[in-house]
Amino acid sequence: MGAFGLAAAWFGVVVFRTSSMVRSALALLFSMAAIGGMFLAMEAEFLGVLQLMMMATEMAIMAIFMVMYMMDPGGLSGMDMTHQKRASLAAGALGALGALAVAVLADWGPIEARVPAATAQVRELGIEIMERSMLIFETAGVTILTAMIAATAIAIQSRRR
Amino acid sequence: MNFVAVLLMLLAGTYWVAVLEDWVSTGRFRPAGPVLSGLALLGRESLVPRKPDRIFFEVAPALLLVSAVLAAAVLPLAPGLILADLATGALFVNAALAYVMVALLMAGWGPDGAYAMVGGFRFLGQLVAYSMLIVMPITAVAMRSESLLTTEIVTSQASLWNVVYQPLGFVLFLLAAMAVAFLPPFDLPTAPGELAGGVEAEYTGWRLAVMRLGRAVLVLTVALAATVFYLGGWLGPVLPPWAWSASKTLAVAAAMLFVGRYVPRLREADVLAWCWKYGIPLALLNIFYVGVVILGVA
Repeated sequence: MGAFGLAAAWFGVVVFRTSSMVRSALALLFSMAAIGGMFLAMEAEFLGVLQLMMMATEMAIMAIFMVMYMMDPGGLSGMDMTHQKRASLAAGALGALGALAVAVLADWGPIEARVPAATAQVRELGIEIMERSMLIFETAGVTILTAMIAATAIAIQSRRR
Repeated sequence: MNFVAVLLMLLAGTYWVAVLEDWVSTGRFRPAGPVLSGLALLGRESLVPRKPDRIFFEVAPALLLVSAVLAAAVLPLAPGLILADLATGALFVNAALAYVMVALLMAGWGPDGAYAMVGGFRFLGQLVAYSMLIVMPITAVAMRSESLLTTEIVTSQASLWNVVYQPLGFVLFLLAAMAVAFLPPFDLPTAPGELAGGVEAEYTGWRLAVMRLGRAVLVLTVALAATVFYLGGWLGPVLPPWAWSASKTLAVAAAMLFVGRYVPRLREADVLAWCWKYGIPLALLNIFYVGVVILGVA
């Protein structure tokens, strides 16, 4: 798991060390995929596989948008993507400290001695989604659908114009 | 032992897929064809284009091969003949196939060539079209088997194969599978005669050999997936289970290759529009229908 963690952190660093938009996006993908590997190492099989699947498509689609909107997507002319260095350093350090504080100080409850079998996990996750968390998922789903329809409506040019 | 047996079977299947592809595209049956053309590719110089994104250029062919093999790893050839019987097998197939797109995107961006780049980004658009049509029919398959284990999906078809139980899902899955493997008429990223090979345009020598191998494994993998999800996998009388899996898989691969020969290449915009306007509503209808049938049977 440590190896996956280090890989995730390293690819996270690569995201900001490269000027190529596609490299940057795919470095983020491999960082996320390494987190999926961490889930797998923790025997959370469903979450790991889901992470691996979702991130591949999401990051690739992000790559195409980054290529579309940047004036130098290949990063060949030495463009500098960093700005407000002090503020972002401070914000990054504060964020890291906050995350560490949560990790150390939070009461995580007793540690489970045995991880349920992978098939049981899939089943329990399904029941959780269809019972207690159903309203949350439905709300999120309908919200996303609304946003998609609204975005499409804005993007389509009216024929009468 | 099983591990080696499965790998050997996948290798043999890949070889036959290559023979079949050669047969349908040239009209000549040459059992030694893939060996000869493979040796020819290995004998040639593998050029590196000017100013490539070297990491992507080198990684892309390998990633294509790895993702196809990983998807095949969770699909059973016979009881016990499976590399990894994951509890999330049906989902893992999707996860592995998603990296096919990442590989082609890398192969498109890496060589710093116009044709390759157009091909790579075309395949990204193609993914937006086909990905839902892979996931949603599999959802209906998993609904029936009440499990994501690919072995249980096969055993759930003992009384009736899914191709009869949910024919609509089978057709949608098969079309989407052809789009994943960028077989004609969905060969937009390579588009011979229009993009000069597209994502393959800048690859030569052994790198092209790895890429072609990855593509052939991919065709075998999606055919095997269609067999496992819809054609009852290893189930069948008389013959040993692995022979049923093998013959069904090769038959599906042959059908996919054969259809492509007689259909003109589709336009990217048409693929997207048809998949979203007709494919997804039909896939939802399939899920609804399967749900009703399951509740009715229960």
